[in-house]
Amino acid sequence: MNAPAGDIVAFANVSFTYRGDWLQRIHALKRVDLRVPAGSSFGYLGANGAGKSTSIKLTVGLLHGHDGDIRLFGQPLGDHRLRRRIGYLPEQPYFYENLQVGEYLAYLGRLSGLSTAELPAACDRVYQLLDLGDLRARKLGSFSKGMRQRFGLAQAIVHRPDLLILDEPFSGLDPLWRARFREVLALERKRGATLFFSTHILSDVEDLCDHYAVIDHGVVLEQGRLADLMGQAPLMLTGAGAKPAGAEAKDDGTWSLHFPESERAQRLAAVHAAGGEIQRLERQRIALEDWFVARVRASHTAGKALAGSAAAGKGGES
Amino acid sequence: MIGVIAWATCREALRSKSFILLLVIYAVAVLLSRLVGWVSSTDGHIVTTDLVFSLQSVIGVLVAVATGTALVHTEIHERTLYTVLSRPLPRWQFVVGKFVGLCLALAAGQAAMLAIGLAYLAVTGASVHGWLVLAGALTALEVLVMAAVSLCWTAMSSPLLAAVLGLATYALGHAVATLPSLMHHLQGWKADLATALASLIPNLGQFAYRSVAVHREPLALAGIGEALVYGALWIVLLVTITVGIFRRKQL
Repeated sequence: MNAPAGDIVAFANVSFTYRGDWLQRIHALKRVDLRVPAGSSFGYLGANGAGKSTSIKLTVGLLHGHDGDIRLFGQPLGDHRLRRRIGYLPEQPYFYENLQVGEYLAYLGRLSGLSTAELPAACDRVYQLLDLGDLRARKLGSFSKGMRQRFGLAQAIVHRPDLLILDEPFSGLDPLWRARFREVLALERKRGATLFFSTHILSDVEDLCDHYAVIDHGVVLEQGRLADLMGQAPLMLTGAGAKPAGAEAKDDGTWSLHFPESERAQRLAAVHAAGGEIQRLERQRIALEDWFVARVRASHTAGKALAGSAAAGKGGES
Repeated sequence: MIGVIAWATCREALRSKSFILLLVIYAVAVLLSRLVGWVSSTDGHIVTTDLVFSLQSVIGVLVAVATGTALVHTEIHERTLYTVLSRPLPRWQFVVGKFVGLCLALAAGQAAMLAIGLAYLAVTGASVHGWLVLAGALTALEVLVMAAVSLCWTAMSSPLLAAVLGLATYALGHAVATLPSLMHHLQGWKADLATALASLIPNLGQFAYRSVAVHREPLALAGIGEALVYGALWIVLLVTITVGIFRRKQL
């Protein structure tokens, strides 16, 4: 099963509302546009309740009745056969307690379209990847949270899906298993799978993703390539000799100067012109966590300002 | 896919503690039924046989209501169905597969109860004959109809309410059987209305051949055939309604 070129998942102007308590309507997604490119590792960022899981559930067919267009592998949602190409790990997965690991994996593998002849090799592959071989006769009711998460990833990849959708995949894992999960996901990606995972742990995105989107209160605030985001980080120039304006002097006689990418040519030319010596030019790292908090807070502030101005406008009219 | 889901559901149900516990309760109750036979003023063996078969019905229905109401709701509540319904599977196949699996487990439970009951009757010297097996099989069908009733109620309400409604349906279903004898004083539209309302509830009297078999009265084969068709039609109707509701459910 090879993934086609283009977008594997595409949301166009998608809104989704569900009924809360009594007649309360909750707008979980508001005109969401989202594109997960084929072959990418896509981090879907958002705080709790931002709309990540709703987007994912719509994609895998657990929710329905949205407005707008959702396409999977370039085709409209609706044909359940498309889901054969998906592997899905829900957030905090639960499983039947009285089935054994081997039985359960075979059951879900069969539902994903694996034949009885294909099952043994497929199960062996994930047993090895996730160290489940010795546990195949254990019932899942006896599993800890981390072990359930391991089984959750195993059932998601057993049929070698083209698209892996993972909802908070690293929750409940100890550091060793977090590292192993990263390795397994890297292998899956090498195999050709596209990764689409939601998280609010930003170091996971930095380690694994090449694309990202930020959602807050059902609105996608930003999406794109992670490299482009990181490319927005300011540059730091270290030099010696004539100190340009704005540079900070250091004890060893050198100086450093911070400036955005857009000023690169102008700043370097100025240093050369002044007779300064360029020792090092490096890009500073964006602290993704700080950036995320700032981005979401900016959105909240803008929303409040908009609401305030609207209220003021109404007040003025009255 | 229905078979795959049914087999997993059956295995899960047969291994559940509550299922095994109710079988144990049945076995203990069967052993105690002899006490009632001893103190009875009529033929002790007939009373014991009657009790053994009534226990199969009552405990079977309790299992059906308990597992039927939990079947889909627990899957939603515990989110176990997320990893199933995210696979290439239409929802109707999931519901039908779950129901077939439940029926397999219930049928296995009913067969075990029947075997335990008949073995006990044979050991205690009561008369064991083919009509009893047939009556036991019809009790099993009644239990399957009640499983479909419970499944349908749970698609519309909470498990607790569904269990109450399921047991109420069981009581009403047996009351419906006595309706014709109560309706002789009704005429015109009142009789029509009573008949129409009664037709909304499965008439569980259709499957009640226990008493006839216990007293070794001959069972009418035409009536048994009618009961089989009647039970099958109710099951199809109730599962179809459940599928219709479940297809629109947000998970």
